[in-house]
Amino acid sequence: MNILPFIISGLGIGAVYALSGVGLVILFRATGVLNFAFGAFGAIGAHCAWQLLEWKMPLAVAILAAVAVSTAISFLYGRIFAPMLSHRDTVVRAVGTLAPALVLIALMGIVWGELPRRLQFPTDLMFVSLFGVRLTYTRIIALLLAVVMVGAITLLLNRTRLGLDMRALANDRDLSAILGVRILYTETAAWIITGVFAGFAGLLLADLVRLQGTFLTLLVIPAIAAAILGQLRSLWETAVAGLLIGIAEAALTPFGWISPYRAAAPFIIALVAVTILGSTAKAVLKDR
Amino acid sequence: MRIDIRGLTVGLALMLLSAFSAHAAASCGDNTGKPATGEPIVIGAITGKTGPDDFSNSTKAAKAYFDCLNANGGIKGRPVKYLVEDDQWNPETASQLAAKLVNDEKAVLMVGNSSYVECGANADFYKKSGILVVAGVGVPRECYFAENYAPTNAGPRVSMLGAMGYALDKLNAKSVVCIGPNIPNVGTWSCDGVMLLAKEKGFAAQTILMDPGSADATSIILQAASSKPDVIVLGLSKGVAVPLLSAAEEQGLNQTITFLSAASVYDLSVPGTIGPGWDGKFYVNMEFNDLDAKTPDNQNWLAVMDQYGQKSDPRDTFAQAGYLAARIAEKALVTLDPSNVTRETASAAVRQIKGFKSDIFCAPWYFGDGQPRHNANSTTRMAVAEGGKWKVVSDCVQSPDPELKDIRAFEASAGLN
Repeated sequence: MNILPFIISGLGIGAVYALSGVGLVILFRATGVLNFAFGAFGAIGAHCAWQLLEWKMPLAVAILAAVAVSTAISFLYGRIFAPMLSHRDTVVRAVGTLAPALVLIALMGIVWGELPRRLQFPTDLMFVSLFGVRLTYTRIIALLLAVVMVGAITLLLNRTRLGLDMRALANDRDLSAILGVRILYTETAAWIITGVFAGFAGLLLADLVRLQGTFLTLLVIPAIAAAILGQLRSLWETAVAGLLIGIAEAALTPFGWISPYRAAAPFIIALVAVTILGSTAKAVLKDR
Repeated sequence: MRIDIRGLTVGLALMLLSAFSAHAAASCGDNTGKPATGEPIVIGAITGKTGPDDFSNSTKAAKAYFDCLNANGGIKGRPVKYLVEDDQWNPETASQLAAKLVNDEKAVLMVGNSSYVECGANADFYKKSGILVVAGVGVPRECYFAENYAPTNAGPRVSMLGAMGYALDKLNAKSVVCIGPNIPNVGTWSCDGVMLLAKEKGFAAQTILMDPGSADATSIILQAASSKPDVIVLGLSKGVAVPLLSAAEEQGLNQTITFLSAASVYDLSVPGTIGPGWDGKFYVNMEFNDLDAKTPDNQNWLAVMDQYGQKSDPRDTFAQAGYLAARIAEKALVTLDPSNVTRETASAAVRQIKGFKSDIFCAPWYFGDGQPRHNANSTTRMAVAEGGKWKVVSDCVQSPDPELKDIRAFEASAGLN
């Protein structure tokens, strides 16, 4: 049995899981919020892109609009609602993000309905053949984008004042406030950054997987699994975990007895990760 | 002869109106144009409206027809009181609603049902209560293996095998991969039919069951393509099938393998969505006539929807199914003495339905009196995607499903079809 084609096939979606996972971790590190609405932020952006393409707008405009819409919604939630929950438990703050997720799912349902749609980029038809599988340029772009964005965010955290503030907030919110870290400013910046990640991830997932609101919203689960494997701290570990989850899911395909259930792979990996990494995750939460 | 200008104007106006209106006037019942005023006849229906998908188009169409019937004299003067309930895709809710409609509301028939979970949950209850169901859309196996439950649609298995038959006869298929969802009594049931047919006719076949929630369509397609089949037959909802087709196109497989699907993908939006890469390469089975067919009954269905339905009610195969179910119920009820419409008399009348003809069906519909199961709609057509539309490419052909042997034997013995 040749498993290589499946590994190649898993790379593209793995890269988007990586991108999503990193987007989640950045926000969690700076604000302590695990954003369940991440998928919905991306999905609405992707739907807007589809709509603009349908109206014969240029591709670049559609992509920019998608990222702009996702970022704007993330910013609005982060600036208006998230601060109201900022002194509550981590769990409450995470659950709070379910509200925008549900509202956005309903909104997408009303505006676009549940008919199947297809978001296509010209890069879907360009490809390199590897082991008998076409690796489309879209998948290659997803991989490159994941690497570039993780690199850029690492630089931001390590080299800029904003990054320093974010790291300080991540370590101790109250102490950071006393030391003069502009909490609201820093947190809002984190919501904007996660919104940009959501926009790109949403576009790529809509192209690689399917353009459907509920479905895209639920794809936050593999991203959370990746984030947990990265212990909600390490960007590179999260990225690698995301990639591996995508590949694991695809590589299970040729095994007949498990193949119909392989969509559960991210959940099981997350469950195992929570069990094994439980103590470290607790240590992370204690910091907050 | 004096020319009446006013009459002429009115006549001209009427002629223009009829020329510009999309469809002719809806024809229902006795076409009296007078509303029915007698004591209502209660008919129930259960549909899965809220949940993973909206299946209520069938009951919406049935309601439109009953409204039209009620506005035209009803059943010999008695209107139909059509009660529709939403089971929310929950078997427990479906059971409660059936009890409510049958026991509390004293429905005499159930008509136009369209639910994923209701057949399994309620088949025994309907039998015990002595009520018959002329369903619109049945999906899982239970809908076709119950004594008191007879759908108007063909069902995913019969429809998928209709597509398979076309692949064997017209596309010279020698090897096939069947892809179905890993939902019990749906995916396995359909693909098992293909495997059984493969054994009978001696062609190579393989089944792939997939989680409809899986994000990774490319891997499924790669797995399917690895056995180098001539055709791939899909038994999935359109929401799952379209991403699979996109992944196949991405891998260039639309150039080498022909794809076919059960009627679940027969939606007017699909050819446009999947794009020109699939022109002439993606075939779909149709349980009913072309949605745009200019035939009289299909036009009447559209006219009923226009006059008595909502503008937003979809004009799709589910709606055709519900319209037909309502028509069949009407045909049974008008044979009764209007003062004696009970569950017993209504059931007896439905049991006698034979040779219900409509150009929406390929073959006349019948209930199958005394049969332990019902699958009257098993003769179907095929269409192919072309230029953003479906093009009908075959006449009506009987589905070669080996499981239909008992149905065919009954049809032969009763002189049907």
